Amino acid sequence: MVRFKNRYVLCEVVSEDPRCRQCIEDRAVGLAVRDAIGRVHGDYGLACCSISFTVKYLNAYTGTVLLRCRKDFYRLLCSALPFVRQLESRNQRYPCALHTLHVGGTIRTCQKFLIQYNRRQLLMLLQNCTNEECPRCIQKSLLSCSLTEEQPPSGDEEDDDGIE
Amino acid sequence: ELPDGGARPNVAQFKQLVVSALRELHGEVGAALPVDVLTYEEKTLSAILRVISSGLVKLWSALTLLGFYQNRRCAFRVLQTSPFLLALSGNSRELVL
Repeated sequence: MVRFKNRYVLCEVVSEDPRCRQCIEDRAVGLAVRDAIGRVHGDYGLACCSISFTVKYLNAYTGTVLLRCRKDFYRLLCSALPFVRQLESRNQRYPCALHTLHVGGTIRTCQKFLIQYNRRQLLMLLQNCTNEECPRCIQKSLLSCSLTEEQPPSGDEEDDDGIE
Repeated sequence: ELPDGGARPNVAQFKQLVVSALRELHGEVGAALPVDVLTYEEKTLSAILRVISSGLVKLWSALTLLGFYQNRRCAFRVLQTSPFLLALSGNSRELVL
């Protein structure tokens, strides 16, 4: 009945500079988004959105970022995302832009959307690729994907996962 | 209110002060709020501001939290608010019928 509701915003980091990929880190992206919110919405907006703000998931290869914030203030966050112009890490700045892909209430919905989105992107990229080898390489890597059986974790580790 | 008497701001500086207070608390969105200074008296440092009704909360909170004008302590006191300009001319509680 009384619980904190969050909104999860799925974004994609788009950059013309290929070196920007290695600079995509959760702290850098978090700082850049916070800075943009501070500029656009001032101290009030910064404080509102920072209550429960974290970068939940980050994929440097595809540039996918999942941000979390409170449900009451997700509009402030979404409206400030276009104002993120650069990512800064290790004293290097790269111009970039954030495209919002999906806003969901849970991580599971965002994951479902991301799977569908990646499937569509893969189809589009395969259509555009001119090299003959590309589709074969991708087919091979897809077919070689399999679930590996992990050793069951020890009792302490399971407790830690539950608390996290 | 400027407790230490010094150079008083003129109309343009007053508006600049209001907009900068909005920018500090509410960012670019706040600074873009259309605020008009309808009248300004430099002697008493009082003014009538006009703002869209949805922006009243932002404006009032920004004015309340503004503490400094050119590194001098200052404070904004809101005497009266009303949707009608005519209502600001008198205090209806002291009306003698």
